[in-house]
Amino acid sequence: MRNYVAVVFDDRSKAYEGLHALWQLDNAGDVTVHGTAVVHRDDWGHFQVDTKETHPALATAIGVGIGALLGALAGPAGATVGAAGGAAIGAATGGVVGVAADLSRSDTRGQAAIETRFVLGHGQSAVIADVSEDWTTPIDTRMHALGGTVYRRAMSDLQDDAWFDAYDPSPYLYPYEHIPSSYPLW
Amino acid sequence: MSANTEVKDALDGVRAAAQELHGAISDAAAKRGGAMKTDLEAVSHKAKAITVSVKGSIGAQHDAAKKHLEEAVAHLEATQKHAAAGVKSSGHSLQNSINQVLADARASVQQISEAIAARRSAKSTHTRK
Repeated sequence: MRNYVAVVFDDRSKAYEGLHALWQLDNAGDVTVHGTAVVHRDDWGHFQVDTKETHPALATAIGVGIGALLGALAGPAGATVGAAGGAAIGAATGGVVGVAADLSRSDTRGQAAIETRFVLGHGQSAVIADVSEDWTTPIDTRMHALGGTVYRRAMSDLQDDAWFDAYDPSPYLYPYEHIPSSYPLW
Repeated sequence: MSANTEVKDALDGVRAAAQELHGAISDAAAKRGGAMKTDLEAVSHKAKAITVSVKGSIGAQHDAAKKHLEEAVAHLEATQKHAAAGVKSSGHSLQNSINQVLADARASVQQISEAIAARRSAKSTHTRK
């Protein structure tokens, strides 16, 4: 079954351990990972998606696409809110905290809406993934062991949502394990 | 080495190559002008080599995986085409080309991953019977 998964961790280094574990599960053949991204929310409530340096227009698209997905994983009502707030999600190139291409478009109403509806609290980080899994146990077990909380929705459900065509997040997920060099873990 | 292992290695190998190609393109996207064009030229050659590998592994797959691999080939050929166009362009046109190349490469990895998922799922179903 094809699912979108968000695994929320209390800190960013754990999120990268989670990302690594997810790709290890793929390598072992337990699941197939099609794409991943790591999102952080700082103590002030700002969101960042870790990306490589890309064109500013692409950074905006990443923010909107990932924002919509984050909202959708919180529940059907969250997608539109997430898309609106997505413009306020910056692409932190190379993991440099504070570099956010779209923060100038930050919108207080959108931020507040995300704050009340979405599962990613201040100071938390999440691994977002597009996966094929025959059963949910491998990801659930591994992520719980790392202290992560797993949210999951079927891709077919999300494709039925009105927002999906406009904000399909798949193109903005890295199709391999991308850990910015500023996050040495091992 | 069993036949299954050979198939797994071939598909996993082309996925790793396609993932590496996407990584190289996303790194190239951060560059400017001549440096970006040099990288695009290399991308075109790499995409061509991966296309040959994917075509070579299609025959050993079942139908669901074959369909994804055929689509991957189409995206890899588009990657080559857009990379070649990018080498000859500049300014906005060059930027558009690299965005297109990135999207094509992403789609090719996606299709190869889906072929792998289809193969794993088929194997899992077969094992449970």
